[in-house]
Amino acid sequence: MTNILVVDDEASIRLLFAQELADEGYAVETVGTIAEAMDKLRASTFDVALLDIKLKNESGLDLLQKIVKERQDMVVILSTAFSCYKDDFSAWLADGYVVKSSDTQELKDEIKRLLAKKRNR
Amino acid sequence: MEWECCWLNNEIRPEECPYVAAGEEELYVAHRKRLVEKCLECPSFRKDLNQLSDRDYPMHDVLRYLVDEFIEQRGQLQSLIAFHDSKTREIKFLHELSMVLQTSLDLDEVLSVAMTAITSGKGFGMNRAFLLMADRERQCLKGYLGVGPRNYDEAWRIWSELEQGNYTLKELARHFHKTKISSEKVKFQDILERLTVPYADQLHVFNRALRERKPILVTDAFHNPEVSEDLARILEVDSFLVMPLISRNRRIGVLLADNFVTHRAITTQDLQSMEIFTFPVAFALERASLYEKLQEEIEKQTAANIKLQEQQALIVKMEKMAVVGRITSSIAHSIRNPLMTIGGYARSLMKDVGEVPRKREYLEEIVKEAKRLEDVLEEVLRYSESLYPVMDRWDINQLVRNVCRELSEQLAGRNIELTLDLDPDIPTILLDYKQIAYCLKTILQHIIETQPGVGAIWAATGGDGDGLRVTISDDGATIDDAVKEALITPFTSTQELGIGVGLPLCRIILERHGSTFSIIDRPEGGTAYTFVIPLQREDQ
Repeated sequence: MTNILVVDDEASIRLLFAQELADEGYAVETVGTIAEAMDKLRASTFDVALLDIKLKNESGLDLLQKIVKERQDMVVILSTAFSCYKDDFSAWLADGYVVKSSDTQELKDEIKRLLAKKRNR
Repeated sequence: MEWECCWLNNEIRPEECPYVAAGEEELYVAHRKRLVEKCLECPSFRKDLNQLSDRDYPMHDVLRYLVDEFIEQRGQLQSLIAFHDSKTREIKFLHELSMVLQTSLDLDEVLSVAMTAITSGKGFGMNRAFLLMADRERQCLKGYLGVGPRNYDEAWRIWSELEQGNYTLKELARHFHKTKISSEKVKFQDILERLTVPYADQLHVFNRALRERKPILVTDAFHNPEVSEDLARILEVDSFLVMPLISRNRRIGVLLADNFVTHRAITTQDLQSMEIFTFPVAFALERASLYEKLQEEIEKQTAANIKLQEQQALIVKMEKMAVVGRITSSIAHSIRNPLMTIGGYARSLMKDVGEVPRKREYLEEIVKEAKRLEDVLEEVLRYSESLYPVMDRWDINQLVRNVCRELSEQLAGRNIELTLDLDPDIPTILLDYKQIAYCLKTILQHIIETQPGVGAIWAATGGDGDGLRVTISDDGATIDDAVKEALITPFTSTQELGIGVGLPLCRIILERHGSTFSIIDRPEGGTAYTFVIPLQREDQ
């Protein structure tokens, strides 16, 4: 089963993502801070990490930097309200990027696409 | 006694007196006047006077003394009148001259008047005049203007032209100012260039005249030990006048005058007259050149003021926009997450509700409206993003690559080869992507568009103490230190730069990032533009 870690400081968003992704058949765990995320990542292996860029007093980008060096086999997707980052990030550290939306279809499609890509690597 | 002469007659016939000239016909009937003006010097009258002596008239000697004395006194009186007339003319001329010199603020007009005064017949009537101006920067006297004919033919042509029109000095000067001043400069270019004399040449007659503050009349120039033979050869005259132009103890220049065509001897009288004339000329020249400089300064100041106002207005506008942007962005972000939750859960519920009427309809409506609001928010965020600086962590190498890629067409258009030398081990850094990208783009565009002779540009990154260094260097011409300073000084404008606010704005942006911006010469030639962005505590 594919494991997904959702990192977002908003509890309602964590719940929404958890539910929506579980419906797709993924095993989802959610955390609200970088420290919690690091604990989870140390304890278990995830296939996908979904990171919010704007965390309360932290930046999802810091977490991104830490995890891409250690977990190169994990798919990392950034999610944020800033659509303008997309062009710059897509060519950069993260594997994918989605703009936060109530319509989670784009997120689901992106996860599928990136997992397929990873399998073919 | 038998008188031989007609002096006794009240009236005479024209054939009786050969000394009455045309226009003096009244003397035939004006006995007393004729006696005084003509008869006293007539040889026949002398003969009659001698008859008195022959007859031992004692009055003879008295009469002879009186007549001789009268004639001598009359001669003296006539020469005094002539002197007075010439002085009156001179004063009138100097007055006319000083009126123009006192009122004119135009350097060329002052020069025209001065040079015309020296060379015109109504003025001092010299054949040629040269003006040398003091060049304080180069510490020398520099040939500036020459006036007069270059040879006899030209002299004849000029003088016949002048003969035909009875011009006043003022009219001549105006004519010269309008039509001839630039052509005369060109005409005497060769002589003017060779006349340049450094201040250091203390023995040179020009410097001597300035030091002694008095005009020097040079004679026998080809054999005069006090004058260099070169000067005589340049001027091709044996005698010339050197007049110092001094105003308020400052060397303004030197005037030279000679009679190159007529070779008329220059007299002490010429020298004295022109000495008086040089004071107002020196003063007027100084005033006109100061006025010219003042005008230039005023123009520069006005342009700088306009630019300053524009930039101030721009800054105020940007500050306002930044506040608007910050508020908008903050509101949009606060709304976005709850909105996303509402819409997201409504979608989720829709999956379970199946085809239950009304409920599905309501949920669809919630989803649709939430989506609509999200789209509006997206627009608002996009806009507010562009209004205020966003500090975030970025890979500066990526930033450099992106900017260089954007400018690749421009680089290719100018045949400039760009080489990237990016340090792969540098950390990401907190900066405003758009502003730093703007700085980098401005530096590159400055090189591409304004620096001559650039064939290669290098863009390099690397660690530098507590910061990250970005250096853009080129292989073009080096830049003057003064221009370098002007390039990064806000609100400074120079003709050569013409880049507007670009680089100074970069400096402001970089300073806000805690960065320094420097422009230095590369040892291999060309210029290097460097800024170092400090790593914040959270970067390290």
